[in-house]
Amino acid sequence: MNLILLLVLVVAAGAVLSVQAAINGRLGQTVGVLRSSLVTFSVGTLVTGLLILFFEPAQAVSLLEVPKWQLTGALFGVVYMMVMVGAVPIVGTAVATVAVIVGQLAMGMLIDNFGWMGNTAIELSASRVLAMLCLALALVFMYRSSTRQAD
Amino acid sequence: MQTSSLEAATQTPARPKHRLGLLLLPLVILAGMGLSVEAGLLGPLGVQVGHLWATLSIFGVGTAILLLLLLFSGPQKGPALNELPRWQLIGGFLGPMYVVVLTLATPHIGIAMTMIAILSGQVGKSVLIDHFGWFGTARKRVNGERWIALLLIVIALVLIARG
Repeated sequence: MNLILLLVLVVAAGAVLSVQAAINGRLGQTVGVLRSSLVTFSVGTLVTGLLILFFEPAQAVSLLEVPKWQLTGALFGVVYMMVMVGAVPIVGTAVATVAVIVGQLAMGMLIDNFGWMGNTAIELSASRVLAMLCLALALVFMYRSSTRQAD
Repeated sequence: MQTSSLEAATQTPARPKHRLGLLLLPLVILAGMGLSVEAGLLGPLGVQVGHLWATLSIFGVGTAILLLLLLFSGPQKGPALNELPRWQLIGGFLGPMYVVVLTLATPHIGIAMTMIAILSGQVGKSVLIDHFGWFGTARKRVNGERWIALLLIVIALVLIARG
């Protein structure tokens, strides 16, 4: 039951993410990639900081004590945001989103399969590979439909 | 990070450009792979230091990097941030929600499953955004090919949920 609740939460987070991509694509068009990303990240930092002050229980381990490579996630986030802000106005929200998903799933399966970066290993099955092919095909259809409309 | 070429690209109107779009796709796929790496880092980090602290590490470091990039890249084109419609600035409220949910979910359901659940939300919502042109994006009617694409994504979801 808890797992289903978690899944619903994650689906909602996906919807939120695509709203964010659309808003940032629009913002990036008017003020540029750097400033629109900075707005998103600095507002995000302030919101998270406020949440920590009022809601986060004390933790045994702090950010300063974990291995430094565990803190490099933001580098990927910054690159992602800049690519999205640049790409969404050109290829459209749906195509950009599906392309991101193909990358996410390929890498997600690799990490799960090998248990990289301290994650629990989950083996790669035939149906997982087949699902990847379906997603790649979906990307092709999304791309074709958006380029044909431009002609 | 190819900011200059991306910036030039964003100044063209919201029409898909065939060549440029094709060039951008591999870049977007790579960016997506980066997101999985980020999620893979976040899960274990959130378990150790707390989910909100893990989220802060993402946004804090991101802000610092962007601020430095902005400082060294000189004056920016376009209107000042405080002249924009307020709703265009709410992206920053949505980002932390996504990151907190990532740190919560990945230790329990794995990165691929998390990404698949994210996917159903993303694709459903983004097709709606394109279809109705919400948030000021160019309007694109959902045609037959897009429905096929959605169908393929649903098949992929079922396949992974069963496998």
